Amino acid sequence: MAGPAHPRAMEPPKPGRTRTAPPQTPGSWPSHPRMRVYTLFGLTGILYLLVGFTSLRLVWALGEGPQRFHEVLASFGHPIYVAFHALTLAAVVFVGVRFLSLFPKAQPANIGPLKPPPRPIIHAMLYVVWITLTVVFAAILAGAIF
Amino acid sequence: MAEEKKTFVLTRFDPDKDEEPRLQSYEIPVQSDWKILDAINYIKDEVDGSVSHRWSCRMEVCGSCGMMVDGEPKLTCKTAVSDYGDTVKVEPLANFPIVRDLIVEFDGFMDKFKSVKPWVVRAKELAAEEGPMRQSPAELQAFKQFSMCINCMLCYASCPVVANEPHFLGPAAIALGHRYNMDSRDEGNAERNEIFRGEGTVFSCSYANECSEVCPKNVDPAAAVNQAKFNAVIDWAGSLVLPRGGK
Repeated sequence: MAGPAHPRAMEPPKPGRTRTAPPQTPGSWPSHPRMRVYTLFGLTGILYLLVGFTSLRLVWALGEGPQRFHEVLASFGHPIYVAFHALTLAAVVFVGVRFLSLFPKAQPANIGPLKPPPRPIIHAMLYVVWITLTVVFAAILAGAIF
Repeated sequence: MAEEKKTFVLTRFDPDKDEEPRLQSYEIPVQSDWKILDAINYIKDEVDGSVSHRWSCRMEVCGSCGMMVDGEPKLTCKTAVSDYGDTVKVEPLANFPIVRDLIVEFDGFMDKFKSVKPWVVRAKELAAEEGPMRQSPAELQAFKQFSMCINCMLCYASCPVVANEPHFLGPAAIALGHRYNMDSRDEGNAERNEIFRGEGTVFSCSYANECSEVCPKNVDPAAAVNQAKFNAVIDWAGSLVLPRGGK
């Protein structure tokens, strides 16, 4: 086994007649490719937390006036920030692809009389929506539209 | 049949003697068509009668013989010995308290299982003279996959949320609750969705998808859990806007 699970995992509602050994986690977890992907998925949360702090820094600077805001904005050109944002972009794409690969089967069989299309079509539709939204937002941020 | 020797490393735990589980190796002759369960039965019958394990049907139906084989939850009656190397590690199901050797405590699961009301709930029972409740093939198809669960617990042994969150209902119990929610004869959706919206239920699932990967009957519990999330939210939203809470 890989290590101890929560000591109360799958605990019976009342103690049994004999002593039990505590639950353990599966031995395959540290090395299994599926679990590595899942762990990586969880770890991306750290990047999103840091992005949150970065956004707060920007909002804080905005409160201190336009000059300070532009100074902070200019600091994002530092190679460390560029690398951080590139890593965050990779994390977002990774989470997006993982989410879209699992999402179709989570669709309910039907809502009222309506049935969802087959999973491959949902899958394709999700990518079309994702790519379209990305292009639209990129165009807005670049000042090409609005 | 060709015969070769393999070493099986089994978890041993005697609650009267052992402080904690230990491992014991057995080198035994195996046949090429054996399943892991055949090897454990051989050890029990021919080598060490004190080895304790659960099994019953030997045909992937009863769900009794789930164990960790080289770290992965498997039905040992379905898993071929030939798929493994010279040494095979067999342990009790992960994430469950260990009662003895390869046997784990299932009462915690049974408690969670009952909590989702895994039966057809009717506001008013039909009288016998009204005949059976009929169901179309399409209505059956909506839940049939989720009714294939044999309660083998492999999904619990694979789930990282079960390992870390003791109150989590877990994949099989939620899949079964969802199965009855999808059943056209059932009228217990509101009750179960209220359970599903509670703490430690469907929204605790972080969609690791491991339950579906290890399920020996292709029930796809991860799909059931995530469909149940969707339905629980729709049910909640409906209760806000519909007259009398949609009841």
